[in-house]
Amino acid sequence: MKRVGLPRALIHYKFSELWIPFFKELGAEVVISPLTTKKIKDIAVRSAPDEDCYSTKLYFGHALVLKDKVDYLFIPRYGGYHKNKVGCPKFIGLAEVLKSMIPNLPPIIMPHFNRAKGGDPRRILLKRAFEVGLIFTKNPFKIFRAIKKAFKAFKEHKRILIIDEETLHKWELSEIILNDFPLYKDNERQLKIALVGHSYVLNDPYSSLDIRSILKNHGIDIITSEQMPRRLIEEQMGKLESDLYFEYEREILGTIMYFLENKTVDGIVHLMIFSCGPDSIAGELAARLSKRHPTIPLLQLVFDELTGEAGMRTRIEAFVDMLRRSEAEQAILLTTKIHI
Amino acid sequence: MSLSFPYLGTFSYVVEAIAKGMNRKDIILPHEPTYKTKQLGSRHASEFVCTPFKMLLGSLIEVLDRGAYQIIFTLFVDFCRLGYYSPLFKLILDDLGYDFELIDLDWQNKPEFFRNFKKLTGDLSAWQAFQAFRVGWIKNRYIDYTEELQFSYGAIEVNKGSTRRVAKKAFRLIVETERMSNIRKLPDVVKKMFENEVEIDKKANPLKIGVVGELYAVVEPAINLHIMKRLNDLGVITYTPITFTRWIDLGKRLNFFKKHHHKEAVKRAKPYLEYRLGGKAQESIGSAILYKEEGWDGMIHLYPFTCMPEIISRSILPQVSKEYDFPILSLVLDEHTGEAGLQTRLEAYVDLLDRKRRGDFK
Repeated sequence: MKRVGLPRALIHYKFSELWIPFFKELGAEVVISPLTTKKIKDIAVRSAPDEDCYSTKLYFGHALVLKDKVDYLFIPRYGGYHKNKVGCPKFIGLAEVLKSMIPNLPPIIMPHFNRAKGGDPRRILLKRAFEVGLIFTKNPFKIFRAIKKAFKAFKEHKRILIIDEETLHKWELSEIILNDFPLYKDNERQLKIALVGHSYVLNDPYSSLDIRSILKNHGIDIITSEQMPRRLIEEQMGKLESDLYFEYEREILGTIMYFLENKTVDGIVHLMIFSCGPDSIAGELAARLSKRHPTIPLLQLVFDELTGEAGMRTRIEAFVDMLRRSEAEQAILLTTKIHI
Repeated sequence: MSLSFPYLGTFSYVVEAIAKGMNRKDIILPHEPTYKTKQLGSRHASEFVCTPFKMLLGSLIEVLDRGAYQIIFTLFVDFCRLGYYSPLFKLILDDLGYDFELIDLDWQNKPEFFRNFKKLTGDLSAWQAFQAFRVGWIKNRYIDYTEELQFSYGAIEVNKGSTRRVAKKAFRLIVETERMSNIRKLPDVVKKMFENEVEIDKKANPLKIGVVGELYAVVEPAINLHIMKRLNDLGVITYTPITFTRWIDLGKRLNFFKKHHHKEAVKRAKPYLEYRLGGKAQESIGSAILYKEEGWDGMIHLYPFTCMPEIISRSILPQVSKEYDFPILSLVLDEHTGEAGLQTRLEAYVDLLDRKRRGDFK
């Protein structure tokens, strides 16, 4: 049985539900690198190029951890699925940079898919997936079955992850809770925060310094930008004077703009990664736009390998305290209606 | 309604020439960016946005302070932040309280491009506006040619500084020349100027270095701290294929018989970086291979801090350098880059090339 390694970083958090069923159905053994630890971070910082963003550096660490445990590394070169929206160029270059910088890597499976900028037509995706399948099995029916199953699983995953507008309105009215149940404290106002950022930051407890549980322990109910209904995001993006063409930043900025306009949360926390290119644009836009609608406070936290946990906790505490003391009326009126 | 644009190396001469051709008398010419410009830009831009953004913003603030109203800028959607420069400029300058009009020339949307272009020309007809643009791209060729001459004569000049003076005179001449028949004669005139006015050391055997990398970092002397001139002073001939010609020169673009360096370079880069990922990532890698084959001594790769595509090529270039036995120096530039540090590294690099040529390493 051939072992294929998936580094748990960057777009793994977006597409793992697509890749894992695919390789399992093909009969390969899927090895995923463990959750980020200090050890992985240290390896990453030592081996990655200095100027790369923190998340890309972590990818190096994850790939190196897998190096001797697998027969193949799976690092797709993914450019974007939209016709005129692009992803991050680093996703395309990553596989080749790893191959060039690190000697003795196992063979890298690097299918390329990019629809942006006059790129591939949609059907190419099938062809590329088929080519990957041929490495593991000669049986074409098996490959097609795997592709079908993978897409089905991915669709199901997305359906569960992305909520519809009705659910969002219920959450806004405090009727339901979307993520972990917050530890509410007595005599304190219950707060709602939109946690905004890349999925590889939101879902990686190490690189985001476990901000989700910090917020949970403060008794704060969160919604993440991943969960936002796509239609609302596209609607918000239409309000921008010129189209923001970074695919993942649309999600981030759209969420921020939606809550700045609708004022249904008490605050917004935007997680940024140091020297992330698209983030520097979206972060600046968000900051400028929030200055124009100052009712909802926006906290922008920048993470890198040197970020200290104590400092971050203090800032979050201060932000939460500020929200608690603020006299935003609509927030006080909303009381929780949850019965367990 | 005065017209202006941010400073951008010698391309500023081209914009000036085009604006003159459009019958605009009210042009405010930007000054070369200084330390103050860099400070001004970094103060108002976000922390880790790329350096060109900060410097262009600083340059814009300076021309706006001098009374400009219409600003020419470009939009370009790619795997790069450049396409979102102008919307952000608008927000930032609005917050600073400036009254202005930013005119985006979006090259990917050609009807829109000429409509916006027409807006700048006022009472000219569409054909006349196009002619003004055409004169611009032809002058751009000659300005590139002048630069090429400047950076080869500069390495072997006897009286230091004489090439620079001649080049400055030549740039002015190119901008000011009017009729097409006169413009066509310019390359000969410029060449004669260099031949007659610069005394060269005919025995010298200078090193040859190609300079590639990110567009802004290569063409703007304020960010690369006049790297071409520094190399010239060390007695090295430099040349860069990175100019604006490939975008604005429609004549060359439509000419199928012309060989384009960047297309060739992208082809050669395929084994290392197969697909396009924006910027000049593939081109930088391909250029290294092409220059090696053409027998150049070395290559310098410039890119601004946090530039996304160039970091990728910078990570792959050491492998290319090793496989082709071709010394490549990668330099990252930002608004804090110090002159002394840069000079030391260039000197060390040129020494290395010199010794390599003499065969010291065999």
